[in-house]
Amino acid sequence: MSSERFLIEGELSAPGFQRWLQGHARRIGISAQIGRADADAVLVTVDGPPALLDAMEMACLLGPIDVWVESVTREAA
Amino acid sequence: MNWTPAALSQDIPSGSAAPGQLGDKDIVIWRSASGRIAAWSDRCPHRGMRLSHGFVRGEFLSCIYHGWRYGDGGQCHRIPAHPELTPPDAIKVPVFAVTESDGVVWVAQKDAEPEAPPPGLAGFSPLRTLRLSARPETVAAAFGGTGLDLRGELGGCAVVVLIQPLPDDQCNLHALAANGADTATLDRVSAALEALRRQAETAEEIAA
Amino acid sequence: MNGEAMRDQWYPVGIAAQLTPAGRDSLLLGEAIRIACDSDGAALVTDGAGRALPVITRFGHVWTTLGQPERDLFTIPEADQPGRRLVDVGTVLVRCSPLRAVENFLDIAHFPFVHTDILGSEPHTEVQRYEVEIRDDVDEVWATKVSFYQPQAAKSAQGGINAEYMYRVPAPTCSVLYKTCPARPEEWDVITLFVQPLTETTCQVWPWMALFDEDSSMTDMIHFQQMIFVQDRSILENQIPALLPLDPGMEIPTRADMTSIAYRRWLKRHGYTYGAQLVAA
Repeated sequence: MSSERFLIEGELSAPGFQRWLQGHARRIGISAQIGRADADAVLVTVDGPPALLDAMEMACLLGPIDVWVESVTREAA
Repeated sequence: MNWTPAALSQDIPSGSAAPGQLGDKDIVIWRSASGRIAAWSDRCPHRGMRLSHGFVRGEFLSCIYHGWRYGDGGQCHRIPAHPELTPPDAIKVPVFAVTESDGVVWVAQKDAEPEAPPPGLAGFSPLRTLRLSARPETVAAAFGGTGLDLRGELGGCAVVVLIQPLPDDQCNLHALAANGADTATLDRVSAALEALRRQAETAEEIAA
Repeated sequence: MNGEAMRDQWYPVGIAAQLTPAGRDSLLLGEAIRIACDSDGAALVTDGAGRALPVITRFGHVWTTLGQPERDLFTIPEADQPGRRLVDVGTVLVRCSPLRAVENFLDIAHFPFVHTDILGSEPHTEVQRYEVEIRDDVDEVWATKVSFYQPQAAKSAQGGINAEYMYRVPAPTCSVLYKTCPARPEEWDVITLFVQPLTETTCQVWPWMALFDEDSSMTDMIHFQQMIFVQDRSILENQIPALLPLDPGMEIPTRADMTSIAYRRWLKRHGYTYGAQLVAA
């Protein structure tokens, strides 16, 4: 099990993005706690096995259609 | 809600999987090596590949695309590209209620599982399934009955014809014939079923 | 049209050596086109109104466009190396989104299951971490340092090897694979998938190869690649939904799917959405 902070950056102001993030985390069985959330950056603390944190990063890089994710930077929490 | 007939048991041998439908929902009906029948959503949660194209090994159904393996209750047990990962409970295939009796596999929505068992078919043996381009009521009228569970005679033999409604004015007929009917009789029943199909499809065209 | 930006791209529509003056009808992005040649054998592609469309002949294929591409068709320098066998594999019609055909070509985790005992086999199913980037200077998706154990990596391979791969997406419906060459380990074999979008849910794939292989017959090389592709077709025609989702909300991409995620990001950034589904499904 790992705990990491994902810094998601891009054009993230579309409503529903946070709900989308929580929904995907639930779908893959990891926990996601959203911290700071601005129009251009969202900080999420995630907990789970490394392979599932990788899977969360993959999904976040794409995100919902009305959001553009430029990057996801990860660090151990 | 009632049980919907989805397949004849003999058409799902152990270790095999086949596509089916419950109304407009695509399902995979599969049987494990030990003979256990299951009905799941026909879609792998990974990238949407039809699970009905998958392979059965032991008590598991694996997706043909990347080998994601699923077991009891639709639970994912293994992701071959990441062998070190124990998939979480959250990764699973939605399942349907399924029951099997008298040679017929019946399905229902998981959260609307009928309390009563499916209709009894004692004295009858499964014969074959036919697909028709006609609505259930057209088929019933052509048979001379009503509803989705038709009992009567075809080809001079007592039969049960179970109608499975499908989208787009289609249906499946799962036909059973009286126990002990000999081959010649079964051939006549089969021919009569095909005649019933032609009759129903023609009636449907005229009505359209 | 969904994905207007895709109009201004070059698309493969035929094999240069197989053109006829009588021509044949086809579709491109849902519109009628006709592919023929003139009396000198030069390619001639016309639209539904009979107007000539721009044409390029490259990589053994005829390319055309319904719009105004900003750039020339991409190049593959390795294709010009002397000694390479250039193979027109032959087209296959697939009832799937043109974008799904490319995404499948970029995927390696399916090798042990779809191309069993050829491109992969159990238990060698683990996908090691590899590198993916969108190269902004050329505006292409590249995956590098991909490696996978293969029982028979190419017609020219004798036995299993750890094949090294690089994937490149230089256009929305084209992909180039650079792969360990069994005959010349310091070179890459080049295998491409050029996809002609007929409609959003049907396409014509035109595979092409530039290989170092002195021993295999042309027929054997073609059959090998066609066999691989027909195995993929049974997957491509049975994925739900038919359009390629650009929102992965109903899927579970993992790290092994990194190239596909980069491809979808690149499509999204450019508005290349012909054949794509914008919401999760």
